[in-house]
Amino acid sequence: MDQKLSELVEQLTTSGEPELNLEKMKELKKICRTSDEHISHIYHLLMTQLNEDHAEVRFSAFQVVAELFTRSHQFRTLLISNFQEFLELTVETDYDQPLPPPKEVAQKLKKLAIKSVQEWHEKYGETYKKLSLGYHFLKQNKKVDFQDTSARTLAERKREEEKQRRLENIYKEKAKQAAEEMQEMSEEIQANLIEMENCFKLLMPDPFDFSVNGVESELGRTEDKAKAGSFQVEKEMGLEAPMPGTLDDEQPCCSKDLPPVTLNQKTGESGISGSSEYQEEDGKGLSERECEADDMNEDDSFIRKHGLGSHTYNLNLEISTDLKVCENEDNSAVVTNLLDICRLIKNKFCPSIQSWIQLFTKAGVNDDRLRHAIDLKRQLEMALKKHEALNIECQQRERKVMKDSDEEDDDDFVEVPEKEGFEPHIPDHLRKEYGLESLAPPQAAKTQGIVKPAGPNPPKRPKTNDEELDPTCAAATWKLIRDKLPKLPPINSSVPGSPEPDTSTESINKQKKREEDRAIAPVMPFGIDLYYWGQDQPTAGKILKFSSQHRFWTPNELEEEVENKEMEAMLKTRYITFPGKFEPVKHKCRAPMPDGSLCERQDRFKCPFHGKIIPRDELGTPTNPEDQAREAKQKFEKEAEEQDWRDPEFMREIESATGVDLGSSKITGKGKGGKKGKKKKYPNLTDLKQHTNTSRSRLQKKVFNKAAVKRVVSAMNRMDQKKHEKFANQFNYALN
Amino acid sequence: MLGFLASRQSGLDHPLRLRRAESTRRVLSLELNKDRDVERIHGSGVNSLDIEPVEGRYMLSGGSDGVIVLYDLANISRKPYYTCKAVCTVGKSHPDVHKFSVETVQWYPHDTGIFTSSSFDKTLKIWDTNTLQPADVFHFEGTVYSHHMSPVATKHCLIAVGTKSHKVQLCDLKSGSCSHILQGHRGEVLAVSWSPRHEYILATASADSRVKLWDVRRASSCLITLDQHNGEKSKASSETANTAHNGRVNGLCFTADGLHFLTTGTDDRMRLWNSSSGENTLVNYGKVCNESRKGLKFTISDGCSPDFVFVPFDSRIAVYTLYAGELITMLRGHYSDVDCCVFQSNFQELYSGSKDCNILAWVPAMRDPAPDEDSEKSGPQSHLNPAFQDAWSSSDEEG
Repeated sequence: MDQKLSELVEQLTTSGEPELNLEKMKELKKICRTSDEHISHIYHLLMTQLNEDHAEVRFSAFQVVAELFTRSHQFRTLLISNFQEFLELTVETDYDQPLPPPKEVAQKLKKLAIKSVQEWHEKYGETYKKLSLGYHFLKQNKKVDFQDTSARTLAERKREEEKQRRLENIYKEKAKQAAEEMQEMSEEIQANLIEMENCFKLLMPDPFDFSVNGVESELGRTEDKAKAGSFQVEKEMGLEAPMPGTLDDEQPCCSKDLPPVTLNQKTGESGISGSSEYQEEDGKGLSERECEADDMNEDDSFIRKHGLGSHTYNLNLEISTDLKVCENEDNSAVVTNLLDICRLIKNKFCPSIQSWIQLFTKAGVNDDRLRHAIDLKRQLEMALKKHEALNIECQQRERKVMKDSDEEDDDDFVEVPEKEGFEPHIPDHLRKEYGLESLAPPQAAKTQGIVKPAGPNPPKRPKTNDEELDPTCAAATWKLIRDKLPKLPPINSSVPGSPEPDTSTESINKQKKREEDRAIAPVMPFGIDLYYWGQDQPTAGKILKFSSQHRFWTPNELEEEVENKEMEAMLKTRYITFPGKFEPVKHKCRAPMPDGSLCERQDRFKCPFHGKIIPRDELGTPTNPEDQAREAKQKFEKEAEEQDWRDPEFMREIESATGVDLGSSKITGKGKGGKKGKKKKYPNLTDLKQHTNTSRSRLQKKVFNKAAVKRVVSAMNRMDQKKHEKFANQFNYALN
Repeated sequence: MLGFLASRQSGLDHPLRLRRAESTRRVLSLELNKDRDVERIHGSGVNSLDIEPVEGRYMLSGGSDGVIVLYDLANISRKPYYTCKAVCTVGKSHPDVHKFSVETVQWYPHDTGIFTSSSFDKTLKIWDTNTLQPADVFHFEGTVYSHHMSPVATKHCLIAVGTKSHKVQLCDLKSGSCSHILQGHRGEVLAVSWSPRHEYILATASADSRVKLWDVRRASSCLITLDQHNGEKSKASSETANTAHNGRVNGLCFTADGLHFLTTGTDDRMRLWNSSSGENTLVNYGKVCNESRKGLKFTISDGCSPDFVFVPFDSRIAVYTLYAGELITMLRGHYSDVDCCVFQSNFQELYSGSKDCNILAWVPAMRDPAPDEDSEKSGPQSHLNPAFQDAWSSSDEEG
């Protein structure tokens, strides 16, 4: 029976699972209830298991203990008599005796133990004095918070609190900063918002606010939408309706469908009224028209009375439901401004407000500041929404600017006479003044022929010239080239009867080639000597001899200058090293890696792992067939090699699982597998040693290897000894 | 028991015999009793306990936070369950509270009107119990590890004080001044104790591993310096000459009759000495774990036929027979190192203070009621408390 009991306990505690095996537990309990002796026996068994240095064993043992504790008085007495040790082993009361790894299970054990102790104390605390003492000990001395489920120690809690406090302080500080920043920025935001609002008003009048409407209609680029009850006739101006007088098909006005008789009048009227505030004038206009029409036609009176042109009157109202603001020259300033503000809001205000709100929420600020920030954000968002709803159709900004400047050149810009003394391009008619031949190229004449009739300022420049004079535009560049290039051909062509046109083409070709070469040729830094290259330098290669420094005495005759041919030659030779330009490697090795990816190394010629870099497709296989063959061969060789060191243990495992002989015994026979045959005792438990198999530990094994340490020590000793010899301070002597 | 009673009745036995037998039995059955509690006042470890010798009713406790508590041990409620109430406290808010850990508290041997306390704040305070005000304060140069008043002195009123300085100082309560200085130790004096037999004999134990016996009438030098080898080995090696232990000696306690005394040291040994000759009696107590750097307060029972030693042993209390050195039992109840224990000889109770802030009362177990045949039959159901019952689920299937 005892044998069975210990077996059961061992099985239960070494299962490594978070839950106990119910059947085994039942069996265990059945045995335990038979006699007290078994209970004391199992108590000792469990205590030994609790002493194991493995948290999973302890955890399972503790679960068994908890099961038995609630059932047997005898077990309770036994356990409580040794409650100190029990607490040390499960709740970690002794600082010097921490719970064993794995850490998560240890934490779980601690939690469970604390919870159980509390439950036990509630249930049995009165009768078992030591239990309640232990409970109080945990509560008061170890400061275990039984409500705190995470079962943290006092130190941990303190650390946590401190961290929290520090963070809070930081947040508070940040929130304060943000509040100040907000204070500063909110004015700007408000100003921008107001500006934007005004822009909206200008662009898009409020249908109910007629006074504003009047002003805006003059600006005339709004397109009011019929809202709810009041319908408005669309006014269209700007690009779509460039001329207010010529109402065209686009205008969904009823007048289009009118018979010709009334049409004249109507169109005339509507033309006069300038299409603005059509709906306002509607009533008035009609009544006027009625009066006029009275004498015209009696029969039409009915029709007229009802403001209808004819009986066959079809009224088609096209009420556009989407807002659209088109940009034209009238509103461009407003639109530009609006867009600027929008950009400002999107890029600057919104992110900063977002960050403020985040800061406030993090810092737990819950007062006006946060509200203010949220208000601001909402306002900004509304403004942005409004902007989007406006659906502003902007023209291409850059192009427009160009065109505008072109078109309005005459009107907007005051012509400034060319600055004296600086003439980037001398106009044709002035060339004589400068003593130059008139270029008079035909194309120039063409372009310049369109000189406008003289205005108040005579040197009215032609349009193209304007462009060309602007150094930033492409035309100017082109002109520059054009100006330069003709310089050469004229020399050729200036010779009137140039006999060989082929030579000229040849030379042109040569020149072209030269140009190309010049384009390819690298620009190198050079010395000042090149600057004087070919010129005769009087002092070159001459050595001045000052024979004596003496004040009074001089040697009678000595050539003061010695010519040195070598020196001269040296001065006339010049080496310029040209190492070429560094080109970064663009290709990758792209050899397939064992994990399926491709090698990312960017070596120029050879990858240290995969050899010569060869072209490969996207799967990493070489594109050249011979490379493919070589690679396949290598792979085969490698595999053959691998056969030798295949893990016999792993193979044996597979064999035992599948029952197929893979020949592991063969390998074991010659290899080291024999000593590895020891099987793990408890396969279900987490292997504690495995945890230590990290790169660090492996390195440790290497570095702190006894032999290695010895080697290092001896080397260092040798170095120390060498210190007392010659040249000790030179490193290359020190190590040999 | 009945036999003892009968022989006592018939006058066959000496009256002491019954008393000894019964008290011995009671000491042997000491256990942590759920019926006896000591009120939880201390917020930190309990360094020192003392029960007044007059009635054996009031107990003083000194805590490592400077707090002194006075407990009433007598159970006058006539109920089995009793919590020892704290009568009064020199708490943190008290103006004259010790600033640092109170190392020793002691009652005035003849009266409960006075008690003394010494502390790491370098003072020894004489307290008036009734007003709870210090009647006198002695200041010292070093921290005070221990002090003791002679329980039998009639001709003097000296308190021996062991401090960090190597001198033992004798403070005279009558004059309120330090009258003697006993020089001879080379380390701090961790324990001092007057002989309960001779009023002028003082034993001191020091961190220099020496224990000295003094006659305070002759202050020039000590009587004996105890030698653990009884002078045999000391001739060979002069270094270990005259040492009582191989480590710091931090505990010292006379037997009730004053004929012997015990010392404990950090060499994990406990030694019994003949107090008249200063010989090591060579009783082997085995290993007595002792890592305290301060004084250790242990106690010896009184009035049992083999007397017992109660000595702190980590978080347990070891009970040895005094003269045989036999380990009787380990009392387990504290969750941290035990610092002191004190024996109440009238009721054979033991009180122990520990670093886990608890003062535990070890009370003799009640004699089990004579097993009746009826109760035998009724079995475990007759237990009064349901918590003592087993709770196996009824069906076998459930287990």
